[in-house]
Amino acid sequence: MAGVSTKEIKNRIRSMESTKQITKAMEMVAASKLRRAQAQVSNSRPYFEILSNTISSIVRSNRDFTSPYLKNRTGNRVMYIVIAGDRGLAGGYNSNVLKMVQAEIEGKEATVLPIGKKAVEFFRSRKIPALTENYAEVAELSVGDCFSISKMLSKAYLNGEFDEVRIAYTNFVSVISQVPMTRRLLPLVLPEQEEKAPYTSDIIYDPDNEEVFAAIVPEYLGGVVYGAVCESRASEQAARRTAMDAATSNAEEMIADLSLKFNRARQAAITNEIIDIVAGS
Amino acid sequence: MMPFSLKIVTPDGLFFDGQAEQLIVRTSTGDIGIMARHMNYVAPLGMGRAVVIADGKRRNAACIGGMVTVMNGEVTLMPTTFEWAEDIDVERAEKSFQKASKIIEENASETDVKLAKAKISRAMVRKGVAKYRIDIDPNSMNH
Repeated sequence: MAGVSTKEIKNRIRSMESTKQITKAMEMVAASKLRRAQAQVSNSRPYFEILSNTISSIVRSNRDFTSPYLKNRTGNRVMYIVIAGDRGLAGGYNSNVLKMVQAEIEGKEATVLPIGKKAVEFFRSRKIPALTENYAEVAELSVGDCFSISKMLSKAYLNGEFDEVRIAYTNFVSVISQVPMTRRLLPLVLPEQEEKAPYTSDIIYDPDNEEVFAAIVPEYLGGVVYGAVCESRASEQAARRTAMDAATSNAEEMIADLSLKFNRARQAAITNEIIDIVAGS
Repeated sequence: MMPFSLKIVTPDGLFFDGQAEQLIVRTSTGDIGIMARHMNYVAPLGMGRAVVIADGKRRNAACIGGMVTVMNGEVTLMPTTFEWAEDIDVERAEKSFQKASKIIEENASETDVKLAKAKISRAMVRKGVAKYRIDIDPNSMNH
């Protein structure tokens, strides 16, 4: 008899069918979650953008550098807020953002604040110290949580526990494109600022600049963290949907291929039988 | 009155984006009124009523936390929570008020009491602002 037995092929087809069903279901779940996450992104995006623009325009026109938030520090201790997913099977979503962070922290004295189970596991296995692992579930993270994170970080930053705070997340460009990126949160100094002469516009800080920055910076951090979480969540669902869509069509292709083989094997078996009868041995 | 461009935005979305004649908000040091051609200004927000006067109409809102900035004539209000008076869930505010009062009466731990007190102030702001539901003529400045 030629090739694999028909029974074996039949079993493989059956298992492919059930895999296909699972990936199809996961795709559908991801699609419905994506819709919700997308709505959240479009709600939080204006806040995220306006907040960043306002802070950078304050920083640009600022001429007073007494606030510790505005001073560049020389040290090498970086704090990374890393947002990844809770679960795998989302294409390259988790590994893209995590590898990016890993490449960036090479040679630095880094601490991480992982958000999402995959991020927690990743840094735990690489023995990179985590500030806290209390925010393991990215899906459950609320605005309030983001503000407690930001309060904790600004306090630690003021205490001099690290010299820079960065955030790594996945930017949701569209349903088919998600870009992992990192950006600096603290200190609030624009890279070009140190060389250029500062703006000549005054700002009234009410009651005074120290108190304003002390109140505004945690607010800003919280807003940015929340925005990044929303972007990442939408990216995760979009990545999973695409990955599962591809898996489903791969399964379909394999089933078609296997069915062809199955029919061939069956035909070969029948032919063999006929030859046996005709030969009449 | 000369209008200026005002944006009110929170993590839950954009609440106002357009021209307004006046904005009154409670900062950490007290209420301030902002009109067109205000100087560049930054202040953290307290908890309290915010009033937006646009197209001659006054709208009230509960506005908690965050900051207000004026940058080159553009006013941006970025509170942590912002609810128009019409949208306030008075029942929910009342409930959270009762719950928090109970916690304080029960002599809970220090952090619990601290949280409960913050809850009470938020609930009181909401309840207070909810009374201003009807739009009032801006010329009768008794509010």
